[in-house]
Amino acid sequence: MSNLKETILNPILKSNPITVLVLGICSSLAVTVQLKGACVMAISVIIVTGLSSFVASILRNTIPNRVRIIVQLVVVALMVILVDQILKAYMYTVEKQLSVYIGLIITNCIVMGRIEAFALGNKPIPSLLDGLANGVGYGLILVIVAFFRELIGSGTLFGFRVLPEGYVLNNLVILPPFALILLGCIIWAHRSFDKDLQEK
Amino acid sequence: MNTNSNVYTIIYTTIVVVVVAAVLAVAAMAFKPMQTANVKAETLSQMMVAAGLGSMDEFLSIGNDQVLERYSENIDSAYAVNLEGDKVLDLDTEKDNIELIDNFKPQDKAIKANGEVTLPVYKFKSGITVIPIYGAGLWGPIWGYIALNQDLRTIAGVYFDHSSETPGLGSKIKDEPWFKEQFVGKVLDIDTPGNPFDIVKGGADENDNSAVDAISGATMTCRGLDAALDVWIGAYANYLKKTTAEE
Repeated sequence: MSNLKETILNPILKSNPITVLVLGICSSLAVTVQLKGACVMAISVIIVTGLSSFVASILRNTIPNRVRIIVQLVVVALMVILVDQILKAYMYTVEKQLSVYIGLIITNCIVMGRIEAFALGNKPIPSLLDGLANGVGYGLILVIVAFFRELIGSGTLFGFRVLPEGYVLNNLVILPPFALILLGCIIWAHRSFDKDLQEK
Repeated sequence: MNTNSNVYTIIYTTIVVVVVAAVLAVAAMAFKPMQTANVKAETLSQMMVAAGLGSMDEFLSIGNDQVLERYSENIDSAYAVNLEGDKVLDLDTEKDNIELIDNFKPQDKAIKANGEVTLPVYKFKSGITVIPIYGAGLWGPIWGYIALNQDLRTIAGVYFDHSSETPGLGSKIKDEPWFKEQFVGKVLDIDTPGNPFDIVKGGADENDNSAVDAISGATMTCRGLDAALDVWIGAYANYLKKTTAEE
């Protein structure tokens, strides 16, 4: 049971895919200008990582070793396209805003990384949880970054004005480089709290 | 079973691909109606923004049904014309049966080949006429809607969109309000065939009534937009001349 708990908690804290493994940086810089986009992106990634780990784990004993990566890629691509189609049907404007980054979840290292490292060697249910938890770990950082960028950059949260009218919008925060700076600060904070992560 | 044999690998991958393809095909068909409705509402919104009937934020917030209703209330007539400027077919504008000519790519080809075209014209009750333009940007298609005042020469408003221009550079044709605002009040020079309007890199001459500034960093996109304006307004030239002469 403690094993299952670790499966869920580890990806969110101790081995967070973004702050510790430093995977999936590209999209976390690109889609964190606004909270709404970041939330939809986070949910999409959670669904994709969870379901593809689940499916890959079900197939794990049947997949021919030589075409392993290709089969995984097909499974991931299937999930991503389904998510994209659903967003296009029900959340058209958000889908347009996220544009290519939904499609690029296919190449998000977290998804393939978790299938390779975990799903191929574990039963479906733990794999599903591992995938979901890694998605949550990714999404958590995405939402934190987006929170600061939207608040400081546009003075709004979820599109609602939070800071008073006179606030001068900060354009630097809107640009992707600031997301990298912010991400660096988060990694810094994470490492100074968690002594295990510090290199000797 | 030996999962590493060639036969197994081939059969396995075939089955996986067929199953995935089937799932995707079903999903694509299931979601198609909703996606088409979204695109339609978006097209109508863009036309109405160009015609000055509301802002994009407003149309996005009111939902597809309301957008269709708003269009239906405000449209006077919609029809298609050919290169000679003659009306060739009427388009329905009833709320439940709004017809749009929204696939501009074949039209664009036909214009360039001097072939048979059905160019859409949307006349709003406010007296504004909206015509579309379409062309190639840097990475993919760009298109837009030009709203003309009653004289069918002066621009009342524009809206541009693109499928995949570079965010922050080419995408500014859609995102930068100043770029679209500078079109307002400019005049289409339809007596100069082939070059009725210019988007000038480095800044347009202030006295030139048929030119606007290009966007720095978006040279190729602006060039594409300029070409799209020239080709499409050129194609409408006969219609615009004829209709003004009649009135």
